[in-house]
Amino acid sequence: MFAAGGPASTGPGAVDCGYDGAVSRTPAGWDVDSPVQAEVFVVWLDGDQLQLTGPDGPQPWILQLGSVEHPVEVVDRIVRDVVGPPILVHSTSWRRDRDAVILSFVVVIDRELVGDMASLPIGRAELARSEATAAPRAIATGAVVEHGLRHLAWLAKDDPVVAAELPAGWQPILADYVPEPFRNLG
Amino acid sequence: MDDDRQFTNRCACGWEISGSEDEVVDATIEHGRRIHNMEATRDQVVAALHAPPVVDDAADAKAG
Repeated sequence: MFAAGGPASTGPGAVDCGYDGAVSRTPAGWDVDSPVQAEVFVVWLDGDQLQLTGPDGPQPWILQLGSVEHPVEVVDRIVRDVVGPPILVHSTSWRRDRDAVILSFVVVIDRELVGDMASLPIGRAELARSEATAAPRAIATGAVVEHGLRHLAWLAKDDPVVAAELPAGWQPILADYVPEPFRNLG
Repeated sequence: MDDDRQFTNRCACGWEISGSEDEVVDATIEHGRRIHNMEATRDQVVAALHAPPVVDDAADAKAG
């Protein structure tokens, strides 16, 4: 996850190129590299508009998952520590990406927890459909979010716990999504 | 001389830290643990800070 910038060009032999000395060269690269990773989409309801947010803004929030860790427990713990207590934590799909198995999670939070985290309205997107015996060739983030919300729409009708926990206003929004169960996206 | 060197570390999520090696290493470990559930050791972060720069193969191919 981390990209090291290395020492600034202030030491012996450094060439003064007039740039900011704090960043001297191309990052070497450091990333979450566990064989199983979580990709968290933090969602909240703003009036009648679903918004995507997180500590990194609306981009997918990547978590490392250890071999003995339960993915749901990790997501719940990290979200609770960084953002606050989630309303719902649900794994909605999985796929192969980033040289790992990626478990996608939709996390529902109350709007009071959003604070100054950057948000982006969630638009509708086409799903990434599998072929008969093969995964989709490409999967956009929007397709993962779309499927996640369709899965949540399915849970809202099928799972009494989810139906009870979803705040007022969510049910009519999710009614516009075609319910889908958990599935492999690629 | 080494004590005066400044380092910068960036996370793919957009987080960035600049400072002395100790400051950058400590902040990186804390950020990884808190935000990404990563347990990076001091040696791992130091190694990344001192790693050679990434070569852009695409740029090299165009240049070549």
